[in-house]
Amino acid sequence: MANQTLLKIEDVTMRFGGLIAVNKLSFDIKEKEIVGLIGPNGAGKTTVFNCITQFYKDYEGKILFKSTDGYTDLKEKKITEIIDQGIVRTFQNVELVKDLSVLDNVLIGAHNQFKSQIFSHILRTKKAKIEEETLRKKAMAVLEFMDIAHLKDLYVGVQPYGIQKKIEIARTLMSNPKLIILDEPAAGLNDSETDELEALIYKIKDKYNAAILLIEHDMGFVMNICERVCAINFGKFIAMDSPKKIQKHKEVQEAYLGKDDA
Amino acid sequence: MTSFIRIFFNSLQTGSVIALAALGIVLIFRTSRTTNFAQGSIGTLNAYVAAMLYSSWGLNIWLVAFLSILTAFITGIVIDTFIIRPAARVSPISKQIITLGIILIIVGMLPYLFGIDPMTFPRFIRTGGIPIAGATLTYNTILTVSVSLILMLLIFWFIQYTKWGLAIRVTASDEQTSKLMGVPTKTVTMFSWATAAILGTLAALIVAPTAGVNINMLLDVQVSAFFAGVLGGFQTFYGAVIGAYLIAFARNYTIFYISDTWGNVFVYLAILFFLYFKPYGLFGKKPTKKV
Amino acid sequence: MTSWLKKIQQSPRLQFILFGVLLSSMAILPLLGVVRSSTMSIYAYIIIYTVVALGLNLLLGFSGLISLGTAGFMGAGALGIGVFMNMGLPFELAVVLTLLVSAMIGAFIGLFSLRVNSIYLAIATLFVGEILRQIYSQVAIFGGEGINIGPVRFFGLIELNRSLRPERSLIFLILVIVLVVMMIVAYNIVKSSTGRALMAMSRSENAAQAMGVSILKYRLTAFITATLFATIGGILYGIYFQDAPTRQWDLNLSLFLIAMVVVGGIKSFFGMFLGVFIVHGLSDLFLKDWLGDVSFIFSGVLIIVVILFYPYGTVHIWVDFKRFLKYIKSKIDKRKGVTPRG
Repeated sequence: MANQTLLKIEDVTMRFGGLIAVNKLSFDIKEKEIVGLIGPNGAGKTTVFNCITQFYKDYEGKILFKSTDGYTDLKEKKITEIIDQGIVRTFQNVELVKDLSVLDNVLIGAHNQFKSQIFSHILRTKKAKIEEETLRKKAMAVLEFMDIAHLKDLYVGVQPYGIQKKIEIARTLMSNPKLIILDEPAAGLNDSETDELEALIYKIKDKYNAAILLIEHDMGFVMNICERVCAINFGKFIAMDSPKKIQKHKEVQEAYLGKDDA
Repeated sequence: MTSFIRIFFNSLQTGSVIALAALGIVLIFRTSRTTNFAQGSIGTLNAYVAAMLYSSWGLNIWLVAFLSILTAFITGIVIDTFIIRPAARVSPISKQIITLGIILIIVGMLPYLFGIDPMTFPRFIRTGGIPIAGATLTYNTILTVSVSLILMLLIFWFIQYTKWGLAIRVTASDEQTSKLMGVPTKTVTMFSWATAAILGTLAALIVAPTAGVNINMLLDVQVSAFFAGVLGGFQTFYGAVIGAYLIAFARNYTIFYISDTWGNVFVYLAILFFLYFKPYGLFGKKPTKKV
Repeated sequence: MTSWLKKIQQSPRLQFILFGVLLSSMAILPLLGVVRSSTMSIYAYIIIYTVVALGLNLLLGFSGLISLGTAGFMGAGALGIGVFMNMGLPFELAVVLTLLVSAMIGAFIGLFSLRVNSIYLAIATLFVGEILRQIYSQVAIFGGEGINIGPVRFFGLIELNRSLRPERSLIFLILVIVLVVMMIVAYNIVKSSTGRALMAMSRSENAAQAMGVSILKYRLTAFITATLFATIGGILYGIYFQDAPTRQWDLNLSLFLIAMVVVGGIKSFFGMFLGVFIVHGLSDLFLKDWLGDVSFIFSGVLIIVVILFYPYGTVHIWVDFKRFLKYIKSKIDKRKGVTPRG
């Protein structure tokens, strides 16, 4: 069975006052697909992410996400309910709780799976304890999958940048995601770390059966890893195609290198 | 009508007192990134100095005012040099608590320096005034209000139009970058503390004739000054001053016309209500946040 | 023996209980005439403030929020049970009603905190504190100066009167038990998904929301919890002193409470006790006797010095002390290693 469309972005426009950050953008992502979103600085890439994850709610157009019965209009969901749909993201500047352990940070990714409330936490009811135990095991499994299980009790704040980026990805895996959105996952990593990340993303796709949407400026990385690449400039759609074709696409080249006036 | 005008004159004076204290608080908040809870205590300390110079040494009241402003200037510099500057790297909350430490030190020192008997300080101009519609606008009120206003306008002018004022403004907006650009941020903070101390002392000298010179003389003024800060917004220097006068007028009139027991509570609730809709005060804008 | 020690070392909850057992000695020592009865009262104060500080720590340390109205809620605790018991209600019902009223005001501040931030939020809480203070001194049911609570009957069974020394010791024990319970409660909250959500919220609201953490829910949780801790502290005050004054719940007390949290060590549980001990207890227990009125200056200097040298709180002195011991030990070992050859 062919993979169905997971996320549909239809005619999305986002304005900040007079500035149009995203302009009638449409593209889609299929299940278990790795898609790159590229464009020069200020092209509106992060704005697209923020619209998908409902940080911005006042966009025009529709963003639909596949659910058990058809498609859900994400605008109807609160920002905190996006993770329940199966969409989870990382941030450009790693946003972790620096004074919590690695394991606890990863557990925050499972926040929506904790059903027990503060009173059961205070009384430490059996149900709350079992829940904590189960999710702790799940978090350990994720840490092992990411090869950082040995760091579980250490503070996040003292970890090197590359490890922090890994922890943030580990956190996304806790929520049984269908779509993982990565905002510049390779930024700040050295070459060997970038290679490692590449392998990791394949591994995640295989094990968790999740689609991945990423923004990245490291073109080599994007072209290696993505099945399809969507190029935008000034918030407008330019092209979406396989990496090879995108590289040869004239308008994409112009967007990056400028128009050849000669 | 008479009482309306009388309250108007009174409010001008209370407003000036709160405004002086509030401007000091905003100045320090902007340049040192801390809420200065000791603003009142610093003013009180120098009011004690003034009271001592006046009653024990018998100096001329104008000379006393001048000398106490001088000691205020020194107090500000001492506090900045020995306490605030070494604490540059502590968290904002800890910095606030340091100002609590300053309060304790000052409160502990007062009985040793000035004895335990309460002291008094007279009005600058003891008698006389202009009768207006049955109420009297005393010369003293005219003096204190105009001195306060002129001083605050001078400070605004200084901040807005001089090279040093520019240094204050850039330090307030981004201390780290300012330092890198060669702005003497240390001097800026030092003078902010000195100026704030002077403003607090002036406020103390104005309330001293009615409130007496004692540890609690500026307690109410200080709390009101904080309220003036949020009402006007901490992003501008003039907002707090306008907020101060608004609070003074609103409080005095509600206390007189509506309820003397509940006047304060009504005004506080009204400001809270207002703050809900304008969370950054009258003149503040919401800072932009990047995701 | 060692396994027993290890168990305590690994379980903070056991440590809290052991700590309570140690503190209980302060209830017995005055009866034996070993320490002055007033010393027990100072420890009662320390326990009361520690309970309040534990709640403030949840707010300040774990949720990154601030309150300058804490004293007002302590007052609500003491005056609340005073008012309800004066109406003839049993102690337990008075406690429940007082906590309900406080929780409602706490929820109000929590809702408010969604709109305002940083210094504006701090001063908004000061507004609430000042309004409470005005209400306490103006409203007739609080009796102007305060309410005399009198002997408290617990569960309709045993009535304890503080003016009788053995009974006062029993009340002190109740305070110790409540302190231990509150320490465990605070610890359980922090170590649960609620605690993690609070921390996630305070460090990055955006990331927290993307993980499904509702800011509304956890702002409310933080403020209501801290409010309830402060109110319970006030109730303990009412139980121990059997009196509820109207005038001492001001900004200065709120600042002192923050000082206790900061000086003890933000995010630490024993640190709260340590902070209260240093900021409040030290001056009442020793300094006033030794230094007289200079104790104020000394406390002020102490707060400043501690913050300058231990910005993360005095609990970290313990870490440095252990490091120092290790250093000494290594020196001794070295010397031992050298002597046989010489």
